Amino acid sequence: MNCKELVYLLEDYFDGTMEEHLKRDLAAHIEKCDPCKNFLKTYDTTRILCRLMKPEEIPEEVRVRLKEFVMEKAREHHRDIGKYRERAARERREQVAALIGAYISNRLSPTTAALFEAHRDRCPKCGAFLRSINGGKVPPPVPPEVEEHLAEFLETLPLGESPTSG
Amino acid sequence: MASERLQDDNVLLEELRGGNPEAVEALFDRFHGKIYSLAMSIVKNESDAEEAVQDVFMTVVQKVHTFKGNSALYSWIYRICVNTCLMRLRGKRRHETVSIEEFMPVFTEEGMHASLIDDWSKEVERKALDKELGQVIRKSTESLSEKYRVVFVLSDVEGLSNEETAKILGLTVPAVKSRLHRARLYLREQLSRYLREGKTH
Repeated sequence: MNCKELVYLLEDYFDGTMEEHLKRDLAAHIEKCDPCKNFLKTYDTTRILCRLMKPEEIPEEVRVRLKEFVMEKAREHHRDIGKYRERAARERREQVAALIGAYISNRLSPTTAALFEAHRDRCPKCGAFLRSINGGKVPPPVPPEVEEHLAEFLETLPLGESPTSG
Repeated sequence: MASERLQDDNVLLEELRGGNPEAVEALFDRFHGKIYSLAMSIVKNESDAEEAVQDVFMTVVQKVHTFKGNSALYSWIYRICVNTCLMRLRGKRRHETVSIEEFMPVFTEEGMHASLIDDWSKEVERKALDKELGQVIRKSTESLSEKYRVVFVLSDVEGLSNEETAKILGLTVPAVKSRLHRARLYLREQLSRYLREGKTH
């Protein structure tokens, strides 16, 4: 090992990943080379000094300002998400109501009607609900579970299929 | 102060996803100091650092549902911080940085030291708490290009392992080690010159 090699292997030496035979070579080299001995000591001292470096502290007024900003923006963000969720729920309610309305008044498209009747006959919850309005012209409030099923049903329709005819 | 249970990463994440303002506060209280100092060390001025910290927290709040938990929460946040700061630097005029090559040790063709190597370690031990010496290191670090500076700050100032630093920066461990080594060689040389001549270059 010469001086140059030693210098470029120092990092391994200090982080403990240097192999045993290289450690022995390094020790033997240091023993007879004063510049390398000095280099090693000062490199080690540099590492230690760097570790003593304090991170940049945040000024108090910056901290206060940042905290207010972050809290307010996060509130806005969550409010927007809440609004979005509300809108999505409203749209879903409207779509399901339109589906039931079209079913009652026989305005479902032929494909939707076929798939809808298949679902009605297979799903006890939706079937019971739909039978309960049989004959009625104004649909009763949709139970949440049925609304969920019917929203899912709408999503499984063929792409581009309009649920109502005409 | 937010409640104790928010100190747990998984609880904190869950509550953040649910939009709990206390969780946002706990997140801020826990990370703002680290994020600020990391941002300062990359962008190097207070107003940029402040804006970077704003961006980091907003990214965390908005993207919290995408965090998969493959890495620790702090390392995800550090990564966001590093990326945010580097994006900010990209749009700016470059700071003056030194060319690190000028500070690398020089060797003869036979691979022997080509310059005088003094042992100033004893002298520094006496000065260890010296403010001036701290300033020399800080100034020298600041004139490093961010390629080396970021690695140096994560490793030596923040005290992260090479593996953690590599993950945060998207580098390999050998690349981190090599940059860190060069940063230390550079600082060793800056300190040598300072102690020899009383000034840095």
